Amino acid sequence: MRTFNPEGHTAHAFDVELNDVKHKVMTMGGLVESMVHNGLQAVLAMDESLGLQVMEDDHQANQFELDIDEDCTRILARRQPAASDLRLVITIIKTITDLERIGDEAEKLGRIGVKLSGESNVPTYYNDLHHLGEHVKGMLRDALDAFTRMDVEAAFHTAARDEAIDKEYANFSRLLISHMMENPANISHALDVSWCARSLERIADHACNICEYVIYLVEGKDIRHSNLDEMRKKLL
Amino acid sequence: MNKENTVPALDLEQDTPTEQTIEEIVASLGDTVGQTRVDNPKMSVSNVDVFYADKQAIFGVDLDIANNEVISMIGPSGCGKSTLLRCLNRMNDTIPICRVTGDITLDGEGIYSKDTDPVLLRARVGMVFQKPNPFPKSIYENVAYGPRLHGLNRNRADLDDIVVNSLRKAGIYEEVKNRLDDAGTSLSGGQQQRLCIARTIACSPEVILMDEPCSALDPIATAKIEELIDELRENYAIAIVTHSMQQAARVSQRTAYFHLGKLVEVGDTDTIFTNPRHELTENYITGRFG
Amino acid sequence: MNNDSLESTSEAIPPETTMVSDTTEKVRKSLGRRYAREKRFKLFGVIAITASLSFLAVLIISITIRGLPAFKQTFLNLDVTLDADTLDLGENPDQDALRKANYNGAIKNSLLELFPDVKKRKEKKALYKFVSNGGQYDLQAKVMADPTLIGQTINVWLPVGDDASGYLRGHIDTSVPEKKRRFKNNQITWIEELRADNKVQTKFNRTFFSRGDSREPEMAGIKGSLFGSILTLMVTLVLSFPIAVATAIYLEEFAPKNRWTDIIEVNINNLAAVPSIVFGLLGLAIFINFFNLPRSAPIVGGLVLSLMTLPTIIISARAALKSVPPSIRDAALGLGASNLQVVFHHVLPLAMPGILTGTIIGMAQALGETAPLLMIGMVAFIVDVPNALTDPATVLPVQIFQWADLPEKGFVEKTSAAIMVLLGVLIAMNAIAVLLRRKFERKW
Repeated sequence: MRTFNPEGHTAHAFDVELNDVKHKVMTMGGLVESMVHNGLQAVLAMDESLGLQVMEDDHQANQFELDIDEDCTRILARRQPAASDLRLVITIIKTITDLERIGDEAEKLGRIGVKLSGESNVPTYYNDLHHLGEHVKGMLRDALDAFTRMDVEAAFHTAARDEAIDKEYANFSRLLISHMMENPANISHALDVSWCARSLERIADHACNICEYVIYLVEGKDIRHSNLDEMRKKLL
Repeated sequence: MNKENTVPALDLEQDTPTEQTIEEIVASLGDTVGQTRVDNPKMSVSNVDVFYADKQAIFGVDLDIANNEVISMIGPSGCGKSTLLRCLNRMNDTIPICRVTGDITLDGEGIYSKDTDPVLLRARVGMVFQKPNPFPKSIYENVAYGPRLHGLNRNRADLDDIVVNSLRKAGIYEEVKNRLDDAGTSLSGGQQQRLCIARTIACSPEVILMDEPCSALDPIATAKIEELIDELRENYAIAIVTHSMQQAARVSQRTAYFHLGKLVEVGDTDTIFTNPRHELTENYITGRFG
Repeated sequence: MNNDSLESTSEAIPPETTMVSDTTEKVRKSLGRRYAREKRFKLFGVIAITASLSFLAVLIISITIRGLPAFKQTFLNLDVTLDADTLDLGENPDQDALRKANYNGAIKNSLLELFPDVKKRKEKKALYKFVSNGGQYDLQAKVMADPTLIGQTINVWLPVGDDASGYLRGHIDTSVPEKKRRFKNNQITWIEELRADNKVQTKFNRTFFSRGDSREPEMAGIKGSLFGSILTLMVTLVLSFPIAVATAIYLEEFAPKNRWTDIIEVNINNLAAVPSIVFGLLGLAIFINFFNLPRSAPIVGGLVLSLMTLPTIIISARAALKSVPPSIRDAALGLGASNLQVVFHHVLPLAMPGILTGTIIGMAQALGETAPLLMIGMVAFIVDVPNALTDPATVLPVQIFQWADLPEKGFVEKTSAAIMVLLGVLIAMNAIAVLLRRKFERKW
């Protein structure tokens, strides 16, 4: 297995710039992670203030994306990175796009949380939503971990979990449909919750993308749109 | 990330390794990574060692140079890339202490064999040097020198044709057509270098070797030479030694990375510059040493 | 790890404003001393140059002042009657008889005609000294060119003798008592008479350039030694230039670098430092005693001077060849030129100005050389102008050396005049060297 080390340039300032931008990505990851957590919490607890908080945080996430994009443009223009440095910059540019999308999805969760804040009764399928949410949050955390440590092994493990989440989302959708059929009065609420589940599923997809970028970054192989198991056997 | 075991070769950048001899380090570099052979090579280097007196400068290099292709040789100073280039047209013959072993072939014939005449070889394998070095003669005479030397022209009109065509191919004709009698040294650096390329082309070589052809030029002149190299690729096999990795990335189809006289990695330029496989290559092209 | 690197960079540039101002202060303090040192150095340079220039000026001025009169000569107008009796000529004299005729008698007669009062033998002798001994050769040349002159009286300007011309130029102090003077009172009276009659005139001294050496200062010229120098230098040039250039090219471009070539190189450098008299001894032993070449001949002088000049030219030629940039060699080799072609098409033409400069400097050295030529007999008293390489000859510096030894006033002047000619030739040669450099110097 190959390792990845962004340091050791003869031009020390380059090390600093790369580390700097990498730190920003990790900070942005942390922000987005908390947004997902809060968004989910806002829906589950029907907490308006938490929801508003998430919507507020999304601006910050967007600002992060702009900042990091600018940093990367500057590095590309001034340092003309090659090989692993080039892959790192590209990975970062792509990762922040995904992080920003995750932020958007979290914002949607928050919005729905605000919308649902008037409701009093907690439907039974909230348990399942909670389970799905925890699962997605865990996956996002692991993906960001893999990114921070540039850990290909972990990235493969995490990416593989996307399939399970897709299944869980399908099951949950079926559950919602049966609820809606049972009690048409709940349709409106169930639809909102369905949107939440959809967002969570998208977040898992983005997390999966981040894992793929990490693998590209470290191994130099683009594994998107290919069979994960085969690639894994080849690389590890 | 374990920093300690990532780059064991980092201390190689010192000119005089204190603990290991160069031979030991070279042995530790392992085999060349990547495809050294191509189909239908124009020139082929096999297991070549070069010695300057007792000091070995090149260690068992295998490398093919293909037709219609630019191969760039990169590596830190003193890695033997220029030495290898100068072996390809036996320019090293002028250094008495230089000894070359192994095989270098041009169209399958050994260039160091007894039947090969170095003068003929140099007519077939032209060379462009680091510093633009036009003769202190007129532009016309500069270009006409080679053809005249080898008797390529039948008469004066022939020679005029060769000169004009060569200047045109080197992309400098329009700039000098009204002053062919001016001294070659009166041109700007970039023009001088293109004049030197024209001079090389005039001998109708099959291979063109370039030893850091742009190192003395400004970026615009460099861009013109690079454009020219790309055009010349249609008709010649080109090997270029360069210190500018960006230049190697821009002009070449294949790239060979040398370290301490050893060919460490060779491969498609695209791969070398996005995803090199050898650690030393990676370190070099990302600016971690050298 | 990342944090570490970030912190370490921020610490790497501590703010040190105090250090900057300290440095400024220190630099300012040392500035005065540094500039003073520079000024002192410049001053020394100016002093050195002024000193050497003034020495040079003193040398040139003193030589010029002393030498200039030698370019003028005083002539006496005489009506010489060339009757056959006085000249001791019979009927229809042949060339040999014409050569041997008594022209001196004719001149003496015409002098006596001017001063009929002079009767005493002693006075006559004093009067005869007015016309130089060489005057008869002028008459001889005239008569031999045109024998019909015999029997006629012709008006000629004849060179004045050494003492008389010395008096006319004011070199003789008349306040000195007559007994201690070479030029007596009666002679002064006569010459003043002649001067009053406009029979004495000073003209440009053509004799100086048209005659060889002579015992009489007024008849001595540098033509012989100048020709000797030219012939000798021709031999030197023809021998040393091709040999030296060929040697330099071989050593620089073709010879393998090994112990033998090292030894040769060291020896060439040593030869350049060998005292020139040694070359003279060598020439004497080998060319004259062993090969039996004639003494005092330009060919031997040329051979000896070649030996002396060779190392100079070889060294300068090698330096010139070495200074041709290797890029030009590479370019020609890369185009497929053979080694010989590289040398003759590119390296040699580019090195030529340097080689020529070295050659001319070597030649100038040879031109000024005396010591080795003394050893091979070129110091002999030779009146005739040499026409062939084997004719006995002398050269300019040796001529100067000889004249400097003679007591006559005329020779003191001639010594300086000859030095002026020698210097003129040397300056001309150096000017040619500079011009050649200018003309052929090319940039690369």
